[in-house]
Amino acid sequence: MRAVSLGTGVVAVCWLALAGSGPAGNAGAFNELPLYSAGDRADGLPLVAVLRRDDTANYVSFVYGDCVPEDDAGCAPPAEIQVWPACRRHLALYDSQASGGLAAERTSIRGVPAAVFDEGARLELQTGSSTVVVFADSRGRAARVARALRAVNGSEPAGSRPLPPPDPGALEGTLDC
Amino acid sequence: MTLGSPYPRDMGRVALVVTLAALVVAVAGGPALAHFDTDRYTHRACPATAGNRTDPINVVFTTWGTWGRAEIQIESHAGWTATSGSTQSFADHGGCSPMHSQRASGQGSRFHVRLRGQHPDSSLGWVAAASAHHEDLVLFPVPCGHAVDSNGSGGSGFDQGRDELERRFTSAGHSAYRVWWGNTQSFKQCDGDYAASDGWTVFVGLHQVNH
Repeated sequence: MRAVSLGTGVVAVCWLALAGSGPAGNAGAFNELPLYSAGDRADGLPLVAVLRRDDTANYVSFVYGDCVPEDDAGCAPPAEIQVWPACRRHLALYDSQASGGLAAERTSIRGVPAAVFDEGARLELQTGSSTVVVFADSRGRAARVARALRAVNGSEPAGSRPLPPPDPGALEGTLDC
Repeated sequence: MTLGSPYPRDMGRVALVVTLAALVVAVAGGPALAHFDTDRYTHRACPATAGNRTDPINVVFTTWGTWGRAEIQIESHAGWTATSGSTQSFADHGGCSPMHSQRASGQGSRFHVRLRGQHPDSSLGWVAAASAHHEDLVLFPVPCGHAVDSNGSGGSGFDQGRDELERRFTSAGHSAYRVWWGNTQSFKQCDGDYAASDGWTVFVGLHQVNH
């Protein structure tokens, strides 16, 4: 996972860094994927890292706030936003009938289909061709971060305004990657 | 023998006691079946909260998946026999308890898995949850101990550990299938990097008899 160092006013800079330093194919793919973050701060937490993963998983992550890992034990940052292509991650993945599957509590957040997990500490929103996943250390913080989502590489709504609806096929996982 | 003789009454009492004892054993000694309801992460300590998560759970042993069988068969099939590592906790049905066991492939850079038996499930049978990963022993620039690999050709260290166990067990004839849990939260490691699961958990069926 590649972390990008951050300074002030970093989100746009980070996106440029990601697009500019990654393999050409990856940058091209993500130029077509709307990214969402909470800006330079989320619920009072500073943006400390932007991560790009493209191996067995495919997402851009915005990490907010720090934590202290130990030898042999990592730690969970207080908040994180992961943006996946909906062709790789979508709510239909939770519809599997296999034993041990995870049930999704379906809802609507910011006007788009969403699901709640982990007693509200994890939210998944489907908007456009993206799946936005919010992890937080509490239900309240996850909700506040979701309300603060805004477009990074586009002109989509900011603040608590409705997000664009999912593209046709995004919810069902039938979009081509 | 008359109807009033003590023999039939004693036999009746014996039968009653045996029946009651059998019921007690059946209730107390058998698995208390419940649905599978584990948290999708391990925790640094109890109580388990979203703030003290440590690793994603990415392997579940089922059928005869007691933690003891899982431990023995990890040793047998993967050859992971080292027992060093810190203690983490698992949540199950809203409760939280320290892990039952851990096994690793060595002391330095290594594969490592932590285990805890969970409530049996009417569909899955005996269940043990596990968090597997590959971790490096970080010595430079600042020695900090073990850190889960943040990436690699086979995914993160969490994905590599899961895949290694899946490969070893299926090669030994165990059934396995994958379920999407989406537990992809990133975890900061002691070397400053972040590691995360790719969200897939493998369910491995164990046999009653170890082999």
